[in-house]
Amino acid sequence: MKHFKIYFLNIMIVCLLCSPAVAARIEISSPGEQTIPLAMTRLLPMGVGGAQPAIAAEFQQVLQGDLELSGLFDLTDPAAFLSDAGKLGLRRNEIDFYQWRMLGAEGLIKGGYRIAGGKLTIELRLFDVISQRLLTGRRYSGKLTDVRKIAHTFADQVLKSLTGEKGPFATKIAYISKRTGHKELYLMDVDGYKPVRLTNHRSIVLNPDFSPTRKELIFTSYSQENPDLYRKEIYTGRESRVSLKPGLNIGGRYSPDGREIALTLSKDKNSEIYLLGTDGTIHRRLTNHYSIDVDPSWSPEGDRIAFVSDRRGNPNIFIVDVHTLEVTRLTFEGKYNATPAWSPKGGRIAYSRMDNGVFNVFTIREDGTDERQLTFGSGSKEHPRWSPDGRFLVYSNDLQDGEKSIWIMRADGTGGRKISARGGHDSHPAWSHRW
Amino acid sequence: MLLVSLLLHLLLPALSYLPFFSQHSIEKPPVYRVNLVNKIVKNPQAGRPEATPVKKKPVVKPKSKPKPKPAVKPKPVPPKPKPIPVKPKPIPPKPKPAKVKPKPAAKVKPVPKKPQPKPAVSRVQKNNLQKRLEQMRAAKQKKASEQARKDRIAALKAAALAESSNIRSPIDAAPVGMADGTGNEAGVSAIAFVQEFIQQQWSFSKYQATGAPEAEVKLFYNAEGTLLHYKFLKKSENSIFDDSLLRAIAKSRQLPQELPEAMSFEIVFNLKDMLAKP
Repeated sequence: MKHFKIYFLNIMIVCLLCSPAVAARIEISSPGEQTIPLAMTRLLPMGVGGAQPAIAAEFQQVLQGDLELSGLFDLTDPAAFLSDAGKLGLRRNEIDFYQWRMLGAEGLIKGGYRIAGGKLTIELRLFDVISQRLLTGRRYSGKLTDVRKIAHTFADQVLKSLTGEKGPFATKIAYISKRTGHKELYLMDVDGYKPVRLTNHRSIVLNPDFSPTRKELIFTSYSQENPDLYRKEIYTGRESRVSLKPGLNIGGRYSPDGREIALTLSKDKNSEIYLLGTDGTIHRRLTNHYSIDVDPSWSPEGDRIAFVSDRRGNPNIFIVDVHTLEVTRLTFEGKYNATPAWSPKGGRIAYSRMDNGVFNVFTIREDGTDERQLTFGSGSKEHPRWSPDGRFLVYSNDLQDGEKSIWIMRADGTGGRKISARGGHDSHPAWSHRW
Repeated sequence: MLLVSLLLHLLLPALSYLPFFSQHSIEKPPVYRVNLVNKIVKNPQAGRPEATPVKKKPVVKPKSKPKPKPAVKPKPVPPKPKPIPVKPKPIPPKPKPAKVKPKPAAKVKPVPKKPQPKPAVSRVQKNNLQKRLEQMRAAKQKKASEQARKDRIAALKAAALAESSNIRSPIDAAPVGMADGTGNEAGVSAIAFVQEFIQQQWSFSKYQATGAPEAEVKLFYNAEGTLLHYKFLKKSENSIFDDSLLRAIAKSRQLPQELPEAMSFEIVFNLKDMLAKP
């Protein structure tokens, strides 16, 4: 019995000693700061090569533009920078993190550049100021004219480090512009820089879409009188007609695997959605209704297609199952819903709705719930298309001055900015896949 | 013996329900904010944690009493003129002869003499004066720059204070305390304070969010408010989210106030409130 008592007492003592101190349990269900405080220093010349401040300034402007558009960051005012900003220290032990922490920065971008023999080399680092850890480091080499491309590519890398997914800044946007007097196909950077005309049809070119697997585009052109579907290789410039059925061959969209094209054909006098092979042969008819069915857009899985139909009276968004051909209605509000675009990340579909003669961009969940209006105001905002990462939308904006232009915004409708230059009457944008 | 051991082991779970093994229960996050200027107390009174502490400065007001002093000052002024009118009376007869004599003499003599001594004296004086002036100017500049520096620091401090006390109480002139406070001390509870402080150190963007990440971290603070150590009780399986928590913890290494005692906190981090907003 005596042994038992001792044994029991021992167990009690061990239990008491091992039991953790009373911990208060609390829940924090929202961060206090909903942007990442980031400091970005100006590129400094490396080595003995001549300094070209214009290179550093251009790089800074492009990278800053991309990071601001992302909405992720609260950029520290360079006026507050201390001495470390003037030092080219790209290694952890060369950086005075305390200075950056004093400024409230949690992230720090530092970099240097070297120009030798007409070749530009840029070294960049992203540090975690709090843990004093290198998050990402890159060295890019190219021509002097590649500085913008390098800035976009590093912006994508910064987003990958801080979100787990690359940004879309080093991609391209195709659009239709009337700056030559005819509606032609153009290509530009995501920030509107370097617009390049791709077609010279001297007719009407419409509805471009990028191949997910190759550097090529499909579009509709009236150059042979009939609205036919064309394919164009971007770098070789080679062009061919893919579909030239009588009547409409419009709204072509590549499937996510790039093997098929969903297209509106009116060869049988009524516009219906069809699936075509990339050689133009018809694989399947997806809709069969006396109403007008146009504007197909693939789900990221490639098993469903959203399209516009007036089968219930007014134009609305419907979804057809590619395998069962079952059609379900997606939008019920509004009298005119058009140009659906399915997010490449799934979940939401963007479209434009006309109210009182003005179009605005909306998004809705693919189950028809949680409809949100993203744009407001007097000018018509149409033809929304998603960035490849689903973070942004590009659309055309018809401001009241009668000039259509291409705009870009975050997927929640914030951060809208004009990217195309004046005087083009630009419309029908399409965002490329990873370039 | 085996039976006894078995019985004792069975007893252990039952023992855990005894009052000295406290039960953990998660506190629902309060809907109020905490003004971090408020003092941490052990037994907070009933009140609002976001309320601004009232400074009892009206005691200083009696200083306004000396203000009437200026009224006293004029008093000595009037007596001064009184003797003046008395003094001039005997003076007027004296100056009359004096005024006549010096006028011609003074007009001729002082003119050549004065210019001679002036340069000799004034050069030294001038140099001294210039030195003094330069010193004064330098001192003035130093004082001005020092003042500007102090002003800048004061402005920064004021901005920081304004930032920290940016939380407005929905109830005007509410006493500082806790909504469920039953004590008698004006201040906030350590739990509410730590929750607010760590939340403010946590940066995470909705554009970084994927899914509904949740992690649980245990933090151990000593009574001085210094973080002794921490451990993840549950990771979120989202490294970006967990990294943001590590940064928040690193920034919370030292609390701005002492705690009533050494304490540990089990904190559940998630994005429920942030993601609920459209």
